[in-house]
Amino acid sequence: MSLLERLGKERLYCDGGAGSMLQSWGLKAGELPETWNVTHPDLIIKLNRLYFEAGSDIVNANTFGANALKFPDTLEEIVTKAVENAKEARRLAHREDAYIALDLGPTGKLLEPLGDLPFEDAISLYKETITYGVKAGADLILIETMTDSYEMKAAVLAAKETCDLPILTTMTFDEKGKLLTGGTPESMTAMLEGLGVDALGVNCGLGPKQLRPFVKRLTEVSSLPIIVNPNAGLPKSKNGVDYYDMSADEFVSYMKEMAENLPISVLGGCCGTTPEYIEKLIAATKDLPFVAPTKKHRSVVTSFSQAVEIGKKPVIIGERINPTGKKKFKAALKEHDINYILNQGLDQEEAGAHILDVNVGLPGIDEASMLVEVMSKLQSVLALPLQIDTGDFDAMEKALRAYNGKAMLNSVNGKQETMDHVFPLVKKYGAVVVALALDERGIPQTADERIEIAKKIYKEAEKYGISKDDIVIDGLAMTVSSDPKSALVTLETIRRVRDELHGHSILGVSNISFGLPNRKVLNSHFLTLAMQNGLSCAIINPNLSAMMDSYHAFIALMNLDTNFNEYLSAYADVETTPVKKENKTLSLYDAIKKGLAQDAATATREGMKTKDGLTLINEELIPALDEVGKGFEKGTLFLPQLLMSAEAAQSAFAVVKESMKGEARTINGRIILATVKGDVHDIGKNIVKVMLENYGFEVIDLGKDVPPKKILKTAIDEDIHLVGLSALMTTTVVSMKETIDLFKKEKPDTLICVGGAVMTQDYADEIGADAYCNDAMETVHYAQKVFHCE
Amino acid sequence: MYPIRKSEVLRYLGYRKSMVITKETDALVDECINDLKKVIQPSMTYERFPIVRHDGILDIGGMIIDSKSLSTNLKDCDEVFLFAATAGIGIDRMIHRAELTNVAKAAIYQAAGAEIVECICDDLNDQLAEKVKKEGLRLKPRFSPGYGDTSLELQKDFERLLQMSKIGIHLNESLLMVPSKSVTAFIGITKSKEKQKSGCALCTAKNCTIRREGL
Repeated sequence: MSLLERLGKERLYCDGGAGSMLQSWGLKAGELPETWNVTHPDLIIKLNRLYFEAGSDIVNANTFGANALKFPDTLEEIVTKAVENAKEARRLAHREDAYIALDLGPTGKLLEPLGDLPFEDAISLYKETITYGVKAGADLILIETMTDSYEMKAAVLAAKETCDLPILTTMTFDEKGKLLTGGTPESMTAMLEGLGVDALGVNCGLGPKQLRPFVKRLTEVSSLPIIVNPNAGLPKSKNGVDYYDMSADEFVSYMKEMAENLPISVLGGCCGTTPEYIEKLIAATKDLPFVAPTKKHRSVVTSFSQAVEIGKKPVIIGERINPTGKKKFKAALKEHDINYILNQGLDQEEAGAHILDVNVGLPGIDEASMLVEVMSKLQSVLALPLQIDTGDFDAMEKALRAYNGKAMLNSVNGKQETMDHVFPLVKKYGAVVVALALDERGIPQTADERIEIAKKIYKEAEKYGISKDDIVIDGLAMTVSSDPKSALVTLETIRRVRDELHGHSILGVSNISFGLPNRKVLNSHFLTLAMQNGLSCAIINPNLSAMMDSYHAFIALMNLDTNFNEYLSAYADVETTPVKKENKTLSLYDAIKKGLAQDAATATREGMKTKDGLTLINEELIPALDEVGKGFEKGTLFLPQLLMSAEAAQSAFAVVKESMKGEARTINGRIILATVKGDVHDIGKNIVKVMLENYGFEVIDLGKDVPPKKILKTAIDEDIHLVGLSALMTTTVVSMKETIDLFKKEKPDTLICVGGAVMTQDYADEIGADAYCNDAMETVHYAQKVFHCE
Repeated sequence: MYPIRKSEVLRYLGYRKSMVITKETDALVDECINDLKKVIQPSMTYERFPIVRHDGILDIGGMIIDSKSLSTNLKDCDEVFLFAATAGIGIDRMIHRAELTNVAKAAIYQAAGAEIVECICDDLNDQLAEKVKKEGLRLKPRFSPGYGDTSLELQKDFERLLQMSKIGIHLNESLLMVPSKSVTAFIGITKSKEKQKSGCALCTAKNCTIRREGL
């Protein structure tokens, strides 16, 4: 029988630990165990055979760490031999009923954006191993010991795109129930089910006792067969010998208890377990009644670490990452000012959004690559799940693929052509998809017709095996100003989605008030009405307090806010602030000296009632900054205070800039800053940037790990005459020198100043820099000298 | 939880006794330390190796190291612990985030993160010291790859010998660790009772902004 015919229908057993056994047979610390497939096939066959004989139904070929990074030249041989050894072991053990797993562990590299392995490279690495493993005759793919959701996704996609074998996945949680990059049982389950794996579970990291609560959580949320392969307890060491603290009998007693009380489909072991453990485990559990996994019907969107469930209480989706009708946003997209977009995301997270919609479509922009870049950068600074919002199918696929987690997708609709494009993508990558209740005939005027379209969409999705749990019906909020009945139709639609279709709904709430004044009144009340009529997801601007007020009031009143936790934390400050704060406003000078950004902005607004912005800057802002800067140089004032003052000055500038429509002040000079190739530490450079900007310089910030050629090209294109380079490590001073040499050859009219932790005047002279700046203030003074504005 | 020493966080930020810390700055430092406490995800691993010496060259677990500084550090040691510890990737996210919104916070997160991983190392250090005490042995001060005349290339050996990726520590092309708040080190195991200089006292960078005062 095939594995899929048995998985989830009867109890199956994996094998146990390999490393400790191989070590006892002579494998040295740091020696790659996979080399033994070729050098000691007899011992690998022996290892596999012992597990087949112990009763394991699934035995791992010795390929855990086999990838082209570790075996650039010999990978095919290593993998092929591993599977052949396992086959030989199975033959010798007379276990033709059992299965050989191509065992895939982590690559050993951390993926971008936090690490340096590109996602597609990770997929390629896994594909190569899988190709050889499948060719050699593996029966299934077991992806195990995964501690990062993104790498897991890469491995699963590689398997799906390379073969049709069953895909089993297990991950390693820490004692708090988290993966190393933050994933939880709930978030990982949603992502893996979305990707269409055949089973999921846990292995390694902890013993059965510590893993139990996380296994329980998996069984509560997952519809798939669950795998449990713990270590033999926790690692201990005695007289210099490492061991795991659970005997086979103790291990088995915990495993038996779990098998009795939780619906677990596959049992086995990991580090420290041996064929003895597996044999005893099988003896103790084989006759226990088997409980098959059941369908859970959950609608979940995730990031790498957070899971948001749709349906329990209304979900707030922030709509601000969208250029429609926003001049500044459009400009940011055109100028590739990603930081502006990231700040839009951070503001909404702060305001209480649960999911962020991401729309970066603008004529003249490569939407697919922009979408992927923005989402990746968002995911490097915040953990909210994202909603991919695009009508471009190419962008949709690229974004779904590159997203770390299970995304929300906006959108599909009832048009056959759209469904033909979108549903295969949802099936392949997993997503909760927004389905607009419209089709070829346009937007229906009645709820009846909208419900009909919703049914049609569900039915079409089912053909692909996409459950209606993964579809959220958009009831279409249309402006009441053009059709006074439209709100009623929308509310009826979402009510019937809930009551008749037992499905989930979503609305772009603010459309309702288009063309009318004081829109937030209509929007916030419409939101309350919609939630009362069953709205599952509200796409809104969470920065508007009226909207979040509706949400907080609704969940508090509807018994959806346990102990009023959300309500209390949202309004914790309300009672106290109005009385105290207003009576004493700080002057701009004092606000900057104290480093209070909000007060600085307020003081600027106040001051501009009587003076113009530039005067304020020259009379208060600059003197305050100078004083703080002097204190820092003298060593009486502390770096964070300098930075706080710099932040405060920036917020004052922002106010002046706004009132003057952009041109707040003359620019003293334009400067490129970059952390050099190979170096990823850029805090120092960022500090210098803030200070330079405060003193009226325009900074082109090229970021970190910047190749010399890129710096040169930017300097030529932008006609720049001063470049600041930063390096933290002695090893990257080399790239600093390379950059300087390149400039001397290609653009000798450019001055280069250098700084960074390892830099000294001597060092700077040695590599031919024009100046050495010890800190941010020195850089400012140097720039002032260069541009004659002291 | 780890006893995070605010004085150390301040030192990493370049604090000198001559400086006055304002109320606002002080509050921000506290706030940042609290932010990080919520995202710490410590993990660590270590292995014990015998030290083999040929003509002043060290062989530790197959690592061949020709280094005066490390040889001095491991003087009178027959064995050594190699360890790796990290405070987790959450701190890096917080730093990236603050770089976009508030560089003062970013700088404080950097400093607090350094102190946190230091605490994690000290804690592990204590546990290891306890372990060897029973054998009548003591530990030498920690020595990390890149100190003195050692090459950062040693990181690759640490990665291999300790399977560092298992605890979530990865090396980038420049041999720096991700998460950034991670430490690898040798800790010599010795019978000798001789006191040894460590930390700033050992370091030759006399003008370093974070050098302990009074040395």
